[in-house]
Amino acid sequence: MESFRADLHIHSLLSPCASLDMTPQAIVTSALERGLQMIAVTDHNTTLHCELTVAIGREAGLPVLRGVEVTSSEEVHSLVILPDGDARVKFQQWLEDHYIRIPYDPLIFGFQPVIDRDENIITEIEHYLTSSINASLDDIGKMAHCCGGLFLPAHIDRPSFSITSQLGFMPEDLEADAVEITGKEINTGFAAVKNSDAHYPDQIGRRYTTYSLEEPTFEELALALGNKNGRHIISVTP
Amino acid sequence: MKADDLISTLRLKLFAGADGLGKSVTGGYTSDLLSDVMGHASEGSVWITVQTHPNVVAIASLKDIAAVIIARDEVPPQETIEKSNGEGIPLLGSSLNSFELSGLIYKMLE
Repeated sequence: MESFRADLHIHSLLSPCASLDMTPQAIVTSALERGLQMIAVTDHNTTLHCELTVAIGREAGLPVLRGVEVTSSEEVHSLVILPDGDARVKFQQWLEDHYIRIPYDPLIFGFQPVIDRDENIITEIEHYLTSSINASLDDIGKMAHCCGGLFLPAHIDRPSFSITSQLGFMPEDLEADAVEITGKEINTGFAAVKNSDAHYPDQIGRRYTTYSLEEPTFEELALALGNKNGRHIISVTP
Repeated sequence: MKADDLISTLRLKLFAGADGLGKSVTGGYTSDLLSDVMGHASEGSVWITVQTHPNVVAIASLKDIAAVIIARDEVPPQETIEKSNGEGIPLLGSSLNSFELSGLIYKMLE
């Protein structure tokens, strides 16, 4: 078993609130410079930059997982990490079926470009990606698991868009694989991880989690979150 | 004023929690952030919100809320309805939005 440093919450430029410098290439380069050994790309309510980032990561020797940060109808943010490309397509389709398509002004909220390998803009998403989708926190967890994915309520200790702010406390029947924290460790009964929630290149890896795994893959991560077969979380930083 | 009076005056829907309709309403609180309600709502208040998560009922119970009004035609899920029946906290519904409900109930309480 080896230790691997992973940051599983990184926004690309497709997220309206993220820097336009957050191209898939810049994310991979910056993650490697900061010594990360596995990352996930998690834009707001879309997975459309996952495949490009996975491909660039593969060539550069950085395992990239496909993820998304979903906003529930309660306005709670959760990370969903998906096992493979097929699961990503299925989850993306489900997201598109649940969008509330409110037109928005990119000059106020930020641009939402989908780019290609050469960093040309292929398309721009025309509805505001960060707003809630028409599905509850519970629905999102169920769909994540239906796709074989992992479901992690995001930054649960933050004063906005978290379980704590929106719902007051952890729902008793919450079926999370882990929770993401940003500050002091708190006892929730769930495995706790830290990730950067980077919106700018220099934020990548500002928080991360070290896992004990055989290799840096989705399957091994899932075992570690469940503390199974000797895989486990070693530490969270800082 | 009782929770019952709100139903008749504002023509509210009763989703669940009929056992609690006799409680006195002494104030009100309008918010969709459950952490905010947990911290700031007073006992005996009617709580106006568009949140329908089951945690709404738990927090209403914790704060001795007299009744919850789900605004703007939002529909609570089955689990929330069951919890409301279990706790005896009236779960009411209206097509009016939170602002309109707040104004009308504020006047009724004056």
